[in-house]
Amino acid sequence: MNELFTVPVLLGILYSGVRLATPYLYAALGEMFAQRSGVVNLGVDGIMLMGAFAAFFVVSNTGNLLLGVLAAMLVGLLMGLIMSFVSVNLQAEQGISGIGLYLFGLGLSSLLFKKLSVSTRAIEGFPALPIPVLSDLPEIGDVFFKHNILVYIAFALVPVAAFVLNHTTLGLKVRAAGMKPEAADSLGVSVARVRYLCVTFGSMMAGLAGASLSIGLINLFQENMTSGLGFIAVALVYFGGWTPLGVMIGALLFSMVNALQLWVQVKAIPIPSDLAVMLPYILTIAALVLGRRARQPAALSKPFSRGEN
Amino acid sequence: MKLNRIGAGALLAVGLLLAACGTPTPAPAAPAATAKPAAKQVKVAVVMPSASNDGAFSQSMYDALKAVQASMGGEAAMKIAVSEGMVQVPNAVAAIRDYAQQGYDLVIAHGTQYGNSLTEIAKDFPNTAFAWGTATDTFAAAGVKNVFAYNPRAQEGGYVLGVLAAKMSKSGVIGVCGPVEAGDAKTYVDGFKKGVMDTKKDAKINVTYTGSFSDVSLMAAAAETHTKAGADILTGSSQSVVGAIGVAKDKKAIWFGTQANQTSLAPDTVGASQVYDWTGVIKEMLDLSAKGTKGGKAFELSLQSGGLKIVYNDKVSIPADAKAAADAAIKGIIDGTIKPLP
Amino acid sequence: MTLLPTGRARIDELRMVGITKRFPGVLANDGVDFDVRAGEIHALLGENGAGKSTLMRQLYGLYKPDAGEIRLNGAARRFNSPSDAIHAGIGMIHQHFMLVPALTVAENVALGLASSRGPLLDLDRVSKRIEELGERYHLKVQPDAQVWQLSVGEQQRVEILKALYRGAALLALDEPTAVLTPQEVGEFFKVLRRMAEDGHALIFISHKLHEVIDISHRVTVMRDGKVVATHPTAGSTRERLAGEMVGRPILLEYDKPPVPAAAANEVPRLEVEDLHVRGDRGRDALRGVSLSIRSGEILGIAGVSGNGQRELAEALTGLRRVTRGRVRVNGRDLTHATPQQRIAAGQSAIPEERMKDGVVRDFSVSENLILQDHGHAPYSRAGFLNTRAITRDCAALVKDYSVKTPALETPTKNLSGGNIQKLILARELARKPTLLICAQPTRGVDIGASEYIHQRLLEQRQRGMATLLISEDLDELMALSDRIAVMYEGRLMAVLDRADATPAKLGLLMAGVAA
Repeated sequence: MNELFTVPVLLGILYSGVRLATPYLYAALGEMFAQRSGVVNLGVDGIMLMGAFAAFFVVSNTGNLLLGVLAAMLVGLLMGLIMSFVSVNLQAEQGISGIGLYLFGLGLSSLLFKKLSVSTRAIEGFPALPIPVLSDLPEIGDVFFKHNILVYIAFALVPVAAFVLNHTTLGLKVRAAGMKPEAADSLGVSVARVRYLCVTFGSMMAGLAGASLSIGLINLFQENMTSGLGFIAVALVYFGGWTPLGVMIGALLFSMVNALQLWVQVKAIPIPSDLAVMLPYILTIAALVLGRRARQPAALSKPFSRGEN
Repeated sequence: MKLNRIGAGALLAVGLLLAACGTPTPAPAAPAATAKPAAKQVKVAVVMPSASNDGAFSQSMYDALKAVQASMGGEAAMKIAVSEGMVQVPNAVAAIRDYAQQGYDLVIAHGTQYGNSLTEIAKDFPNTAFAWGTATDTFAAAGVKNVFAYNPRAQEGGYVLGVLAAKMSKSGVIGVCGPVEAGDAKTYVDGFKKGVMDTKKDAKINVTYTGSFSDVSLMAAAAETHTKAGADILTGSSQSVVGAIGVAKDKKAIWFGTQANQTSLAPDTVGASQVYDWTGVIKEMLDLSAKGTKGGKAFELSLQSGGLKIVYNDKVSIPADAKAAADAAIKGIIDGTIKPLP
Repeated sequence: MTLLPTGRARIDELRMVGITKRFPGVLANDGVDFDVRAGEIHALLGENGAGKSTLMRQLYGLYKPDAGEIRLNGAARRFNSPSDAIHAGIGMIHQHFMLVPALTVAENVALGLASSRGPLLDLDRVSKRIEELGERYHLKVQPDAQVWQLSVGEQQRVEILKALYRGAALLALDEPTAVLTPQEVGEFFKVLRRMAEDGHALIFISHKLHEVIDISHRVTVMRDGKVVATHPTAGSTRERLAGEMVGRPILLEYDKPPVPAAAANEVPRLEVEDLHVRGDRGRDALRGVSLSIRSGEILGIAGVSGNGQRELAEALTGLRRVTRGRVRVNGRDLTHATPQQRIAAGQSAIPEERMKDGVVRDFSVSENLILQDHGHAPYSRAGFLNTRAITRDCAALVKDYSVKTPALETPTKNLSGGNIQKLILARELARKPTLLICAQPTRGVDIGASEYIHQRLLEQRQRGMATLLISEDLDELMALSDRIAVMYEGRLMAVLDRADATPAKLGLLMAGVAA
């Protein structure tokens, strides 16, 4: 056991934690906005797959990484519009629609991957971008300041999201729409517009999360490559109590426990691999059970209408 | 007010439809009627758990079928139907039964998990030949006569690649990215480990399993952990290794692949791959079937039979002594002097 | 153009002409004419479902009229959304507050408004303005307090501040006093008068007759989607307004003979000693309640909701565990008895939440009528229901208590509130109970049905039944009770004889001020 708690291992866990947390962070921050406005979007995983595919497809054909990111976000935007339309205009049951969107993304990304005969060759993804000075810090520099740009942006989005939510007129509308849409409506706030905006933004973030996998972390596309990562992101929103900081802590914790279990295996700690693999999920369930539910947006997953007709 | 139900239902339906046609390929596009069958057209169907371009398990079978088809004279002589991405066993079973009903000559259930249901289907279609892999049991004991089994001795190639890895590692640390501790993934890893240890006693092999055949990002994290722990050579099994290969490329480590030739995924990174070549097995099964033997035989891919091949990548230079040691290992395994499993 | 003290233009006259609004199967507004002028408080009176709220929702842009016109200062206007109405200077205080509980007062006020700092919130400036407005209109609240921490009265102030902040020159108030204590109502009326004096136009929607008489200059009465009368309030009596609302003469005060003097050895029907029970959150909801009710007596329990009334009713009906104290019915100790045992001892109950605790929504009328008695003769034998007896008795009950239902098999949820309450009353009184625990018997029930229910309760009183009447409607308590007890924070502040109980006195006690 002592082998596990050495400085290099702990730094390794931190490093992997930060890298692995990136896709979760994008997806969960976006989902947090959707949920704060009152819409649960369970389609995150499907949007991530489409985003991952779009980014990989564009980059492997053009070699332009920025274009790849934009493609992923565009795909996210389109799928976000679908989810918005179904949940806001048609007032559909959000859980079912979200699963529908997930299957849609899963199926379409697999289909396109095969039909477009995309190369299965690794692309040159985003290179590591050491931050001057900071990256030279002993130990810490490597862990926190030698990542690719998508990693930095994800973490930079956390304070930005918190600021938007708490200190802007838009953020106030978002919070009100998720807690008491009829109050927002009575003050002339268009709940539909706010929800459209949040769901679509959240989906663009999910698309970006997919890109951060396919052209940031792995540099390849594979059918169903997220394997449920988007659902974990949804759980992290609950875990994080619907705050950006909480979501970030959740994402880091989850990915660090994942990194830890890999180290447990590398260091040949005598725990069955099946058990080690379960660790992060046990943690998630425990956190959800023990977590406070007080801050859940009161109108979460409830369609809003004025009751006319 | 019914709109809400219709909306959710519609999205779900579209999703299901796409999921259904996105994963398994729809029935073959080229109708057999356009090509005039020279003699009798042989019809082969395969049901597999991942995509035909997964760079691993499913692709190895798909490529082999294509190769056999080409050698037999193309579409006209042999028709291939593929159902891929059949993660859900009940769906796979339904597909297998469908193909049997449609009169396919050989129906391949390419996944260990499909075995249980196969016995019953086989009994219902005694004139159809079935194949099941990776497996060693033809259900002969249960009175079934029309099931072939096929199994790769993944440990053999694993051993050879282990020898290569031990010879080539400078740090003396080697990382193994396993998916689930079962089947050919496990035998491959065990063979690989023995290959390393027999070559270099003080080498350090770190093994991780992610618990999933498909979790690409966790596989990437596993590879990253191995490189952090000092590994300069990585290997792994299953379709999820694409994540690990990406990391190996990033960290300038050398990767050894298995199941399919993984060179194309990262041409500067993959040192060598153990390739499952099912062409011989498929041909033999078709021959037997044509002669009336619809099953009962268990095939094994091995270095000796040529079903397992070690394919090198010219772009990655392999030291001469390493290559020599690998050749010696192949020879030793074929003549029985080397036991690849502990 | 005349300006209001808030700096916005006055609305000299709002006129709604021939407003018609149809919902599937219902004509909610049928050619309604209504007007209000600057400086006027115009009451809009009517039973539930008379069309008041629908009319106001059209004024506020929430619904679009099928026909008719809204004219502001003589010009026709069309409001497609609340923001159109807000722009035109119309504000609305909804019956259910439109506040976001988890946000602060300032955030609730700022919601949906442009900020002086562009996309960034400027809550300091909003807070300052809230304080200025609060000063002028006696609407003091802490701008940085979170709304859920505020009392109901304070929340209402926030609602009015929201409208004033947006420059509302006309304010429609939908049942604004329903949730207030009499003291708070007094304060609230001062605010309304102040606003009217400043030149605001106010629409006051209510079904409380004395409040309408107290506060309004003019009154418009609606019934079944139509306006039945519009006249100055001065000179109107409660009886006249009630008659206009219901369409027939209505009795608001009842003659009842006094309770006969107690015989020497008389046992009280209900005796409660030092009762303690815990509330839903584990804290003591009742902290030593003692009372007794004699045969033929109605004891009213007044109090602002949430002071232990619900828990008292639940403890006395066996739905909540008593932690300390004793309850005796007709001399028998029933402190920990089950509901079944209480029924057997001659006790009946009318629960506060009639849809939740009073009936099974999806059961038919007759099933609900025999809910407690289905287990024994004549309604069942050896586990089989006796349909003929059930139909016979239920038909008689439905007739006796004039429950309006298409059939005995109709699902209960399809009945109106008043008819469901009559159904419960029929079931509970048919047993000829000696004690009735009765909570909010006429809440949400129209005046006609209320009068009927009251008459029935008084009839049973004559018969000798003792009644514990828990109500938030002071008029009801004053009309029915022989004595009135006031509950505050789980204790009885005082028990007054009806003759001594004035609204003012009760109001003080309800606020926790000992007389």
